Amino acid sequence: MSDRRNDRMAMGLPAVIAESIALEMERDDTIVCIGEDIGKAGGVFGATAGLQERFGADRVLDAPISEMAFTGMGVGLAQAGMRPLIEIMFVDFIGVCLEQVYNAAAKIHYMSGGRQRMPIVFKTAGGNIGSAAQHSQCLWGLFAHLPGLKVVAPCNPHDHKGLMAAALRSDDPIVFIEHKALLLQKGRDFRHHPDIPDRAYTIPLGEAAVVRQGSDVTLATLSATVETALEAAEIVADEGISVEVIDLRSVVPLDTPTVARSAARTGRLLVVDEDYLSYGLTAELSMRVIEQIGLDGLRQIDRLALPDVPIPAALSLEQAVVPGTDAITAKLRAMAQGN
Amino acid sequence: MPDTAKMLDRYRRMGAMRAFDEACLDALRRKAIHGELHVGLGQEAIGAAMFEALQPGDAVVSTHRNHFHALAKGVDPRALLAEICERETGLCGGRGGHMHPFDPENHFSATGIVGASLPVALGYAHAFALRGEDHVAVGVTGDGGSHSGAFHETMVMASARDLPLVVLVENNALAISVDFAAVSPTSTVAERASAYDALGLHVDGTDVDAVTAQFCHAMDHARSGQGPVIIEATCCRFRGHFEGDPEHYRSRDERNRLRAEFDPIALYADRLTEAGVAREDLDAIIKSEKAAAKAMLAEVLADPLPDPADALAHVFVDDVFVAGAAA
Repeated sequence: MSDRRNDRMAMGLPAVIAESIALEMERDDTIVCIGEDIGKAGGVFGATAGLQERFGADRVLDAPISEMAFTGMGVGLAQAGMRPLIEIMFVDFIGVCLEQVYNAAAKIHYMSGGRQRMPIVFKTAGGNIGSAAQHSQCLWGLFAHLPGLKVVAPCNPHDHKGLMAAALRSDDPIVFIEHKALLLQKGRDFRHHPDIPDRAYTIPLGEAAVVRQGSDVTLATLSATVETALEAAEIVADEGISVEVIDLRSVVPLDTPTVARSAARTGRLLVVDEDYLSYGLTAELSMRVIEQIGLDGLRQIDRLALPDVPIPAALSLEQAVVPGTDAITAKLRAMAQGN
Repeated sequence: MPDTAKMLDRYRRMGAMRAFDEACLDALRRKAIHGELHVGLGQEAIGAAMFEALQPGDAVVSTHRNHFHALAKGVDPRALLAEICERETGLCGGRGGHMHPFDPENHFSATGIVGASLPVALGYAHAFALRGEDHVAVGVTGDGGSHSGAFHETMVMASARDLPLVVLVENNALAISVDFAAVSPTSTVAERASAYDALGLHVDGTDVDAVTAQFCHAMDHARSGQGPVIIEATCCRFRGHFEGDPEHYRSRDERNRLRAEFDPIALYADRLTEAGVAREDLDAIIKSEKAAAKAMLAEVLADPLPDPADALAHVFVDDVFVAGAAA
């Protein structure tokens, strides 16, 4: 491995995200970033580091704690022909400004009969890192339930860079959910870690990636759980169970065909989700796969997700509810032993 | 010496706005509108003032009671009426309806959520400032919306950055049923401007000359880089909050009194006759505006409703599978 490539692969996720935004801001001067602590501090995780220095305090605006105002500002900026990136520091905070996300940004292209485009990226961070009920949620299922939003949650630096670029170039509103555990992870520690080119590149929104090939069980998931799923797949591989792991990469659009093709081949589908169980991704994806390949196309179907409970603070309790390696391996074993 | 030609223009504009909303009421009676309808009868002077105060590049983000603002901003009245009447030929092809008209070319939009107009106007103001354009964004709200968090947050951000924003508060003293005096900590909304280091203007919104002068002053202030303005125009809502509102919160006598004392069109007719204009000339203006609106409604009602096969079109710009669509 060359030194240069070595350095790139050691980059943490925040630096890669900041690099992607910078490249897009360079090629398109209508991109404006607004959020709390994104400028001078470079973002609480460093995912906007250096942008304000480079592009100025008007294009990378440190906002007061006025989420209602600056989220709606995004809508107004988009209507005025700009491409705003609005950062909601933690996805849990969306409650104070959901109005502008789900009643305005999500609906305006439709309500206007296709006349008013709404190119906004709502960049935010979700996921469990021991921060309890108000700072741990994923909520992609919530956004996916609301018509008009694309919802992206990548799992590695390469995909974050390409999907962020695609999001900033899209004319539709996008909720881009980074995972706090991945933001804090060392670059080298990613299990699924494709090369990160220096140049700008995009990854099409709505295309899942098969990140491990297998023949016994199809495991579909996204975000940080891809890492967990790969770990679980390695463990059960030693027991002779071959797991195909699919990273969905986005919840809207949801790449059902890729999952359905794999599940039709393995005959077993396990959907794992760090978001809440009920009315969520696990049921939706399972049903869509059944609609595509029929009940007879599957021998087994199962799911694992966060139970319908606020996320507890204590580590022992958090581990009891968040789908981890042990829970996933147990499911995989049970499914492989069945018919 | 009063400029009667200019005064007559204002009178006609107010008459056209009232005739437009009367056509909407007619459309409702004919069941061409199957949802809610909020008309602005009694608030025409503010719409007419907005017409004179705006320049083409300015933006307006309005409320659920938005028809006069749309007309003031230059939205095509026929397309607006067709949208209100849920027609394929409407401004938004019948997807938005009367609370959600969008006219990107004219920088006009509205929202049905009280207070939510202001942050969107703030976004326009930031865009104008970033691009060095001398346009102004106008965010409209009512007295009800002036109590929302969005109002406060918008003023915080706009004033800290001296953005070209005019917040128009149409204070009809009723947030559906709740009296302004009963819930407001201040006797006016305009006086809150000082807390944000912004300009606050308070004007009689039933006096078209006064509200036009103050509106132009507000726009000049914002346009010249002196920061945001709150302009509060007091007025009366002659009809219910929505058509069908039982109005348990006020008596018929009270409503009739407001109509008798504060009708901006009748008040202006008095001023015009004092300036020497004949009453019959004024009546002829109203009559011709009513006839024009009536003819426009007849045309619109002959337009088709949107094709049900297109109900799922336009969710996204990109061609994305919409769950529930026929495969």
